[in-house]
Amino acid sequence: MKKVLALILTLAMALSLASLTACGGSSSSSTGTTDSSAAGDTTDTEESGLPTIDSITLGEDYQDITATVTILTSRTDIADTTYAAYAEEFHELYPNITVEYEAITDYEETLQLRLTTGDWGDICFIPTSVSMAQLSDYFIPLGDYDTLDEIYNFVSEATYDGTVYGIANGGTADGVLYNTRIWEEAGITDLPTTPEEFLEDLQLIKDNTDAIPLYTNFAAGWTMGAWDSYIWIPATGDVDWHNNIAHTSNPFSDRGDQTGPYAVYYTLYEAVSRGLIEDDPMSTDWESSKSRINSGEIATMVLGSWAVAQCQEAGDTPEDLAYMPFPITVDGQQYAGASGNYSYGINNQTSEEQQIASMIYVKWLLEESTIFEDEGSIPALKTDDMPDVLAGFDGVELLSNSAAPEGEEDLFDDVNNESEVGLNNSDYPDCEILEAALTGSATLDEIMDEWNAKWTAAQESLGVEIYE
Amino acid sequence: MNAIVAEQKSPLQFFHDGRVQRKLVIFCFMILPMALLIVFTYVPFIKMIQFSFYDRTYLDSGKFVGLKNYLEVFTRSECFGSLAVSLYYMGGAVVQLGLALFFASLMVFKVKGAGVYKACMFFPYLICGIAVGFIFKFFYSRGYVLDTILMMFGMDLEDIPYWLQNQSINNISLVATSVWRYTGQNMVLFLGAMMSVDNDLYEAADLDGAGKWQKFRYIILPSIKTIIVLNLILSISGSLSAFEPPYVITNGTMGTGTYFVIMNRLAHENQKVGLACAMAIVLLAIIVLCTVAQKLFFKYVFTDGADDPEAAAEAKRQRKAAKAARKQKKEVAPV
Repeated sequence: MKKVLALILTLAMALSLASLTACGGSSSSSTGTTDSSAAGDTTDTEESGLPTIDSITLGEDYQDITATVTILTSRTDIADTTYAAYAEEFHELYPNITVEYEAITDYEETLQLRLTTGDWGDICFIPTSVSMAQLSDYFIPLGDYDTLDEIYNFVSEATYDGTVYGIANGGTADGVLYNTRIWEEAGITDLPTTPEEFLEDLQLIKDNTDAIPLYTNFAAGWTMGAWDSYIWIPATGDVDWHNNIAHTSNPFSDRGDQTGPYAVYYTLYEAVSRGLIEDDPMSTDWESSKSRINSGEIATMVLGSWAVAQCQEAGDTPEDLAYMPFPITVDGQQYAGASGNYSYGINNQTSEEQQIASMIYVKWLLEESTIFEDEGSIPALKTDDMPDVLAGFDGVELLSNSAAPEGEEDLFDDVNNESEVGLNNSDYPDCEILEAALTGSATLDEIMDEWNAKWTAAQESLGVEIYE
Repeated sequence: MNAIVAEQKSPLQFFHDGRVQRKLVIFCFMILPMALLIVFTYVPFIKMIQFSFYDRTYLDSGKFVGLKNYLEVFTRSECFGSLAVSLYYMGGAVVQLGLALFFASLMVFKVKGAGVYKACMFFPYLICGIAVGFIFKFFYSRGYVLDTILMMFGMDLEDIPYWLQNQSINNISLVATSVWRYTGQNMVLFLGAMMSVDNDLYEAADLDGAGKWQKFRYIILPSIKTIIVLNLILSISGSLSAFEPPYVITNGTMGTGTYFVIMNRLAHENQKVGLACAMAIVLLAIIVLCTVAQKLFFKYVFTDGADDPEAAAEAKRQRKAAKAARKQKKEVAPV
């Protein structure tokens, strides 16, 4: 009896095991086939010739393609509502193509891992961790730079070796979000044009109103990292500064004329040390800050222009909110940087049909959808009008960072990562400035000297040539 | 014995053989967990060791740099500096074990509604660490939960410290969250061990007129020492690798960056994956060292002559009553 039982048990185990391994085997073999077919596709892509994005006529070409396209997005808040509505609208134009959004929290880190598998979907926002040289490993080419640069804004941000791999989902301008009612109540008539004027105005707001002069949103982290975006064009008016900084010795030194990166961080440091920010930076909350600046509890927030639309929606007085350029004047002229949002990239590991369908959807989003009006961002098409939020930018020159010179596409990222100064990609160094100002543990000059030292060390270890 | 016969038998008879069957069963039962373990633990671990010798990012395979990453771990001040923050968590671990032991010994005797207490105490452990982080982010926020409660007791907002900003207490605030989360779990482990103590011992102790404290000290403590040691080792290695509270609540700012938070920052923000892997391996070495050190400590100090419960209890007594050590010895020796 026992033997029979044991035999049955053994057989059952062996069977279940066999079925399990069979499952594993079949699934792995199926991924194997998709992989190999995908590899086949990518190799013959170049010969069979995917269309370039500018050559597609929307609504006419490729009506016969049937595909379901998955698009990854970081916008967990609107993926199921606004974005899904775009997908439906598009579905009417192309009934055979279905677009599905997949929203991902913790987008950057998740994508870093998922991209390497090749099996992640069809369209994504290209994560910042993908370097220019790696673009071709993951994404299909959309066209050549010279052609697409005529049509779309911010194309240079995902271009390598003259080929474009991604087009930005519109863009934002760098400036300062403020509540006009509070600024007027404080008795300010002219907008500040230098850091010192800005700090004086904040002081006026503190003295004359109940509002928090400058809300840093410190606890959110990324809101502090946002300060890095002002050290480029707003602080220098130089479209090449982004490329030159890797070759510059001690870029964070005080230039003495209230310009350059130092002036930006000076504004932050001084606002904190003069007590012009919220009482407890550790207790800030991003979601509620949107309605608080709307109602006038907060006077100012230093954020990209994308934030304007969100803050306007968050309360009853959207008309009170306005946007001004960052208060730095270079040789009598104020500048504002415009930069692309995340760029759309299309998976090069899927079938050609999927890729074309994806390309059609991206083109439709960029050209026909209302996405840029809805988000208040700078449109992707160069011919479209600037958003209303930039109305206050009269007399301000709006510029974009120029493309990196050939062969140096990754130089800035390399120096930046090696130095751990983390411009644009790490919030922590900016948080440290606030910490130091709050606790008095270090002066701004000490911090900037430290950053300079790290920058120099990185330049040396990478063997970067220093121009004077 | 059958095996010899089975050697030349048909396949069916081969499977009938008890030894073969047993091996087959063992094999079948083992293969799944082993496969999972290998795929999700050992392969990544070996990969991590490999990565630690490279200067690489996630997406780029980089170049071999030998021991450079390890050298950097040891020369960077913030790597080992952050271990100082772990001392707070170790302190917290001791408090946590003390509390857990206290509650467990209260509940091992008949208590009304013990089940409810147990469930309430254990519940925080079931919440995911990130959620706990968010709960406490609001709990400690200026003017939110904790401050409101204190103000209800008549404190002025001005007198209440900034729980997360003030660098002399913010680590304690964070440690408190992990104590809150893990006390219940430790308690349940202790309780489980205590339940296995033979009831006759308590009855005998009752007959001898032992009080609750004496029961705890001479019956419970000696019988659960293994689990105490285990919990302590787990807590200490846990405090060295504390991550969720500082990552979620303060993002490692204001001096709350633990070793893990810094490792995470290097890997994900500065793309120094090789360096972060080296840090992970160094941390592993530290944890192994700490565990071995604790093991040795308990072997030679805590459970001296472990086999005999009486001697063990005596050794414990000596350690606990360290101030009166000499007197104690004289008193105990004749007994």
